[in-house]
Amino acid sequence: MKSIFIAFDQAHYENIIELLEKMNSRGFTAWEHVQGRGTKTGDPHYGSHAWPSLASSILTIVDDDKVDKLLQKLKELDDLKPMLGLRAWVWNIENSI
Amino acid sequence: MSLYASAVKRPVMTTLFFVAVVILGLFSLQKLPIDLYPDIDTNTIMVLTSYSGASAADIEQNVTRPLENTLNSVSNLKHISSKSRENISVITLEFEYGYDIDVLTNDVRDKLDMVSSQLPDDSETPIIFKFSSDMIPIMLLSVQASESMPGLYKILDDVVANPLARINGVGSVSISGAPKREIHVYVDPIKLEAYNLSIETISAIIGAENRNIPGGSFDIGSDTYSLRVQGEFKESTQMQNVVVGSYDGKNIYLRDIATIDDSLEERAQQTYNNGKAGAMIIVQKQSGANSVEISNQITKILPSIQKNLPTDVKLGMIVDTSDNIRNTISSLVETVLYALFFVVLVVFVFLGRWRATMIIAITIPISLIASFIYLFGTGNTLNIISLSALSISIGMVVDDAIVVLENVTTHIERGSDPKQAAVHGTNEVAISVVASTLTLIAVFFPLTMVPGMMGVMFRQLGWMVCIMMIISTICALSLTPMLCSQLLKLNPKSSKLFKLLFTPINKGLDGFDNGYAKLLNWVVTHRFITFLLCMALFLSSLILMKFVGTEFVPVSDNSRLGVKLELPIGTRVEIAEDITKRIYDEWTEKYPEIKVLNYTVGMAGSDNTYASLQDNGSHIISMNITLVDPVDRKRTLTEVADLMRNDLKHYPEFKKTQVNVGGSRGGGMSGQSTIDYEIYGYDFETTDSVAAHLKRALQGIKGTADITISRSDYQPEYQVDFDREKLAIYGLNLSTAATYLRNRINGSLASQFREDGEEYDIKVMYAPDFRTSISDIENILIYNSQGEGIRIKDVGTVVERFSPPTIERKDRQRIITVSTVVADVPMSDVVAASQIEIEKMDLPVGVSINLSGSYEDQQESFSDLSTLALLIVILVYIVMAAQFESYTYPGIIMTSLLFAFSGVIIILWLTNTTLNIMSMIGGIMLIGIVVKNGIVLIDYITLNRERGMGIRSAVVDGGKSRLRPVVMTTLTTILGMVPMAVGTGEGAEMWRPMGIAVIGGLTMSTILTLLFVPVLYCIFASVGVKRNRRHLKKLLLKNK
Repeated sequence: MKSIFIAFDQAHYENIIELLEKMNSRGFTAWEHVQGRGTKTGDPHYGSHAWPSLASSILTIVDDDKVDKLLQKLKELDDLKPMLGLRAWVWNIENSI
Repeated sequence: MSLYASAVKRPVMTTLFFVAVVILGLFSLQKLPIDLYPDIDTNTIMVLTSYSGASAADIEQNVTRPLENTLNSVSNLKHISSKSRENISVITLEFEYGYDIDVLTNDVRDKLDMVSSQLPDDSETPIIFKFSSDMIPIMLLSVQASESMPGLYKILDDVVANPLARINGVGSVSISGAPKREIHVYVDPIKLEAYNLSIETISAIIGAENRNIPGGSFDIGSDTYSLRVQGEFKESTQMQNVVVGSYDGKNIYLRDIATIDDSLEERAQQTYNNGKAGAMIIVQKQSGANSVEISNQITKILPSIQKNLPTDVKLGMIVDTSDNIRNTISSLVETVLYALFFVVLVVFVFLGRWRATMIIAITIPISLIASFIYLFGTGNTLNIISLSALSISIGMVVDDAIVVLENVTTHIERGSDPKQAAVHGTNEVAISVVASTLTLIAVFFPLTMVPGMMGVMFRQLGWMVCIMMIISTICALSLTPMLCSQLLKLNPKSSKLFKLLFTPINKGLDGFDNGYAKLLNWVVTHRFITFLLCMALFLSSLILMKFVGTEFVPVSDNSRLGVKLELPIGTRVEIAEDITKRIYDEWTEKYPEIKVLNYTVGMAGSDNTYASLQDNGSHIISMNITLVDPVDRKRTLTEVADLMRNDLKHYPEFKKTQVNVGGSRGGGMSGQSTIDYEIYGYDFETTDSVAAHLKRALQGIKGTADITISRSDYQPEYQVDFDREKLAIYGLNLSTAATYLRNRINGSLASQFREDGEEYDIKVMYAPDFRTSISDIENILIYNSQGEGIRIKDVGTVVERFSPPTIERKDRQRIITVSTVVADVPMSDVVAASQIEIEKMDLPVGVSINLSGSYEDQQESFSDLSTLALLIVILVYIVMAAQFESYTYPGIIMTSLLFAFSGVIIILWLTNTTLNIMSMIGGIMLIGIVVKNGIVLIDYITLNRERGMGIRSAVVDGGKSRLRPVVMTTLTTILGMVPMAVGTGEGAEMWRPMGIAVIGGLTMSTILTLLFVPVLYCIFASVGVKRNRRHLKKLLLKNK
């Protein structure tokens, strides 16, 4: 089991939910409005007067074999709309109940 | 879920909601009546008190003054004026506009109850009379007749007046100029004396002979019959054979001593239409009825009425007030449509995409149509004000939608789905869209609270624009994102034609952007020079203010002239008729513009409601002239009026002449302005001479015309002074003697002649030949109870006297008004020139001169509007300060108001337009419109700064990227106003100044705002930065 944290421009939100659905990964936790800024490029997403756009983030736990495929799909989505911004990170799941 | 998110999610609901609004709006539009102005409630109440036998001075002292003193305490009273003349006191109470007249009437009634005990015992109870604009006739019909002339009154009454009066909404129909039938028994006084008879005896005998008397009923066998005596005359000639007495055992018949003249009233008004004798039919509407609807119905039934008339009687139209309403409204509708076209065109050129243009254009009809629901719901009409509101709003309702659409497009270009882009794009700008709407509401909402006449006029404008703004904002936050999500695409394909057309446009716009960026760069590096240049421009425009005249309301050309001519008092009607014929011949030849010229001479009967409200008399001539429509003639109404005034100067016979543009003098909203110089003072002679002096002075001032003095001349008359002692010796009293006098000259009403259900008066009087000299009067015989005849000259003397004029008072002081029409020059010029003249006059002690009339209205409304402007500026400042969370930025933005002001003055000066209430309203609207540009600019500059740019680059970049939206919204507003400003249709004079003012002010302020506001921003921001640095330095030093 791995956890994937995806942070992205809120315009991607529905696409990503749809993607997870397609990949048969049922569980996720989403924050619809979060703020953030890319490490190197991309406009900040603060929801402020200067930077009005906002980001969303999703934490999903998937089986190990699904991780690569999911990351690949996410990369495709990001390449399609580079201006919006989409990043994902993978952690190990140590334990759960 | 937010409004826009749910709108995007539920396109069907959103679409159908707006479809429903449009359907309701169109339904309301169909039901909306049209009118010229919003309903103006009446604000005048008259109190009439008669006290017979009292002279003007007695009336003033005993009736008018106590009433005035009490009525003065009624609340909301503006002016109280009165006229005291013989036998009657008329008090006019003028209230502030906007109060319920019924409540005021009750107040007046209560006060009258209080004062009634103080009035003289013989005076009648005061009568309250509400005067309203409904008394102004809505239609004047002309009637031409030849053979039918003697019976014209009856024909018109039966065939025309009755059917017209049955039409829903028609208040009264009166006929003027057609004398009624009357049967005169002209008696020869010499024969009367010879047979020992008197007018009274003959009158009584005729009355006794001309009767039907029921005799009860009686039974014959099994039936009951009623018994009657049918003595009434079947024909007037039967009267000749009435036996009036006997002399030497022989019967004396009426034919022996009198002639029976079955003809028309002796004193009556005569009316001529286009030179031919005839009559005039006056239609007045019921209170609250719609003139246009009534006129439509009347025009519909006129042809069928014409069919029922004898062939020589022809109906025509002199004045149809609804014609002007219809033409004015249709030319304004045309203006609105042009504005719509221009606005859509500008949007298309700037956006370059037809889908985007359509999304924006659709908000225009929706907001506009929705406002009809308000009009219908509140019982208002489509009028100049409500349609102007539409025209003004067209350019403004698109602004919100443009902002939303632009931002959604940016999101789509960044790669968002149209749906997501629509929601998030709208979310980002929602607050600033609402804020910019709020600034406009801050301008237009106070308009709904203006007091007085202005309030009545502009309340509707305020509400309409507010409603349209709110609807357009709702539309921009729901329908626009929904349509964006459905219609917009990323990088749509464009056709060849499109590319051919838009490549140069885009290049031009880009060049424009770059040029502006360069200029802005120069400006912010030369702040001081720019600041000085702009301020110099502003200050120099203030000098022009001196050359811009002011007036109240622009004169509108409704093709109507009313001419009132007065010969010296007591001139015979035949002379008036003759001179009018000459004028008629001269004018019809000189002015081919005249469509109908109708004139009336003579004294009106008391049963003519319309005529009895106007001044009339044998020496007064009144004319109604209708010119052809303004588009079909070269000379304007005022030009024709001026020429006519000149023509009238060649007729020395006239004592007073008036040529009234628009039909009536100083008619508030139409017609030329008047200035009334009110001379207050008690003594008649002193004020008379001041008035005469003032009149001469005014005649020397350019732009004055038709100067009149309100106090009429002393009227010459004959009075019989009876000697009471001599009367007593003969066993007579004064009233018996006076009645004898009246019966012989005015006639004694003997009976009524009945024919076809109509009744005609039978009057017994001296034949006309026997009442032409003073000796005829002196020889009148009065009989006492012993049957002795006594001549008037034995008991009294006939003397010529002058009856004193009416005593006029205003605000409880005696007054005489000198009134002038202002022609061709701004009112302010005449006021200034006349004030110099008044200064020069050496006014006697106790006499003062006060200016009123249109001038007073103008002063009042200008001060109301100035207060309003101040209030609006404060409100707008508050809205902006709240939005920017700063006290400085709104101040910077507000400097654009200075240039708007300059712009208005410069354009008024260039176009030779006056400053009147319409251009002032235009100026007030500018407050909201011009600050919007500043808001857009400053908002983006601060955004750049927040993103970390330096002051100068933030300003230049911000300016460059906001140039297009600013120019686009400004152009939509300006082009929306162009059709108003250049309109030539009927009534265009009215709204032209408003369009001109908005265009001038907006153009000037936009150009200068784009330069001056960035400069000021740089100055203030750098001061702020320096202050922060100093503060930091101090902190650092402290820490060390």
